[in-house]
Amino acid sequence: MNADPRARRIAVVADSLLEPLLDELGAQGYGVIQLPPPGLDRETTLAWLEQVAEHVAEFRRTGYQVVLAGDGLYAEELDALGLPQYAIQPPSTSRLIPDT
Amino acid sequence: MKVAFIAHCLLNQNAKVEGGAKRPGMWEPVIDLLRERGYTIRQMPCPELAFGGARRFWGVREQFDTALYRAHCRRLATLVAAVIEQHASAGDDIVLIGVDSSPTMGVDFTPSAPHWAGKPDIGEDDSTLVRGDGIFIEELKAELEERGLPVPRSTGIRHWFADYDPDEELRRLETILR
Repeated sequence: MNADPRARRIAVVADSLLEPLLDELGAQGYGVIQLPPPGLDRETTLAWLEQVAEHVAEFRRTGYQVVLAGDGLYAEELDALGLPQYAIQPPSTSRLIPDT
Repeated sequence: MKVAFIAHCLLNQNAKVEGGAKRPGMWEPVIDLLRERGYTIRQMPCPELAFGGARRFWGVREQFDTALYRAHCRRLATLVAAVIEQHASAGDDIVLIGVDSSPTMGVDFTPSAPHWAGKPDIGEDDSTLVRGDGIFIEELKAELEERGLPVPRSTGIRHWFADYDPDEELRRLETILR
């Protein structure tokens, strides 16, 4: 196999933030673990969150950087993971310069 | 609504076995295509990561095909099928995208080497890609059948095939997208 390019950075991302954050996360080399969307039944949501917790535990156990880009949903379950918050990048200053 | 259930590693390359990642974070060719086509992404869990860990050895289908691993995959397939069922009930259009070099997530192909065992030193990789589903995909199909749900239109990413052709993959993906 060739050299493995993984960046060993992972963002646990709220469903509502996945689409808006995908470009900047991708540009920074983050892999993504998606949180359950709202609207699923309680049992399915908890099973999804359980899988997220297991994945996060394994990545942290083996030295990966894991951050949270949450939207307030599932706060209780996610607080238990103790993840640092992902800092959403400010817009590029180039986008603030008006067209001339 | 159009929904794509995708293998975990397509959105998180860190879930691949060591040496198996193709990109720093995600496999953009399929993610970008799904976004362009207006698909909502539903990332499936990674059965291998959850079972063998991030430092697992890579393996072939015959090594993974145990009762215990199947039970683990079925547990995860029950979760995924429950989400698929809720989308199906809403009338959503659903596709499934796996990874065709995986003993777990293969859709049309899966790696085989009946003689692999013992010391984790295979020398040259002499496994072959054979027709068939990975273990998780088999369990997911069984779970969907039990629920009376059709198997979504599906295909597998082939970026580890020796003759990988990005254009062929794009055309094949487009045949299952709406």
